[in-house]
Amino acid sequence: MLHGLKLLLPALIPSWRFFDTIAPSPRIEYALLHDPHAVAVWQEFRPRPARLSFGQMLLRMVWNPRWNESLYLVSCAERLMANPTAHSEREIIERIKAEYADASAPWLQFRLVFVSRQGEGTRKDITFTSPVYRREAV
Amino acid sequence: MSLDTAVRCTEMLLAFAFLQQSAEHLCVPGERRLFLPRIALSLLLMAGFAAPWMCLALLLHALFILQRFDGPYNGGSDRMGLLILSCLCVVHFMPSPRAREAAFGYLALQVLLSYFIAGWVKITNPDWRTGRASRDVLLFSAYPVSESLRAGADWPRSVCLASWAVMLFELFFPLALLSPRALVFGLTLAALFHFVNACLFGLNRFFWFWLAAYPSLLWLQQRLGAGQ
Repeated sequence: MLHGLKLLLPALIPSWRFFDTIAPSPRIEYALLHDPHAVAVWQEFRPRPARLSFGQMLLRMVWNPRWNESLYLVSCAERLMANPTAHSEREIIERIKAEYADASAPWLQFRLVFVSRQGEGTRKDITFTSPVYRREAV
Repeated sequence: MSLDTAVRCTEMLLAFAFLQQSAEHLCVPGERRLFLPRIALSLLLMAGFAAPWMCLALLLHALFILQRFDGPYNGGSDRMGLLILSCLCVVHFMPSPRAREAAFGYLALQVLLSYFIAGWVKITNPDWRTGRASRDVLLFSAYPVSESLRAGADWPRSVCLASWAVMLFELFFPLALLSPRALVFGLTLAALFHFVNACLFGLNRFFWFWLAAYPSLLWLQQRLGAGQ
């Protein structure tokens, strides 16, 4: 309860500094492994669609669970870099496991790639690679 | 708009925002049990049943949700919801009318600041003034809802113009308090701004939570006018 109250405080005296700087932005990449020592083939977790119709955008005004969960995972990735906790790591790996519940690979791994501006283009930096998790143990 | 009417409107809009948010969590099996009480309490609040106690119960329940996610689930929108809820609790449980007004006025002040400070931190940053920051949002941030939106970064002049429109709107938003007509215009523009953000960046929860805070501004505008 005390921890909850501590987390409530920033809501009572908010800073409202939305987008003051555009910081490097995290992407979560995952690998499904058949062997814990296999070389990981990384794929972006929940890549955004190529395009969305206006109707789909309107529907998302009232029903947007997947996207909001993805934004939560962005927060977890940022927290993992700023102030690493087992909580953020667990939240990410549990959602990867749930997303690929039907996959046959018994091992999972993820990494964080931060995208930032470089000149007129972008650059990617791998900032975190998780341990290999046994699916059953997650 | 009287204080009681504004408070009631806020309760109903907040209850709707909580219902919308909680329904989204029902898709996740592990989160269902956490959000079902919020749905029940929000329905009771919307119906006007023991509103002060529903607000208090929602606030206590919110502490468990904060603990579960080790902070807000969706940053700013969750924080606005908690701020509204906290102010409503103070409004309901403060014995003196002055203190009740002060608590609701604090909410209105924070809504004004949410626009003004967001505008101020942008306009003092050269990257925002040149449109570079907006292009960065489109180019590589996690927010654009589709890959096709990233192409917007290839239109620097339009993006710069949009940046300035957003910054000036945010900075001058407090002037909307000058007259009832200006406030209705300002709030309409603000709601449209959140609607566009929801469409382009998927920030739908911001739309509903900020909307829930608008009755406090309508009340404050009238209260300040009556005090002159």
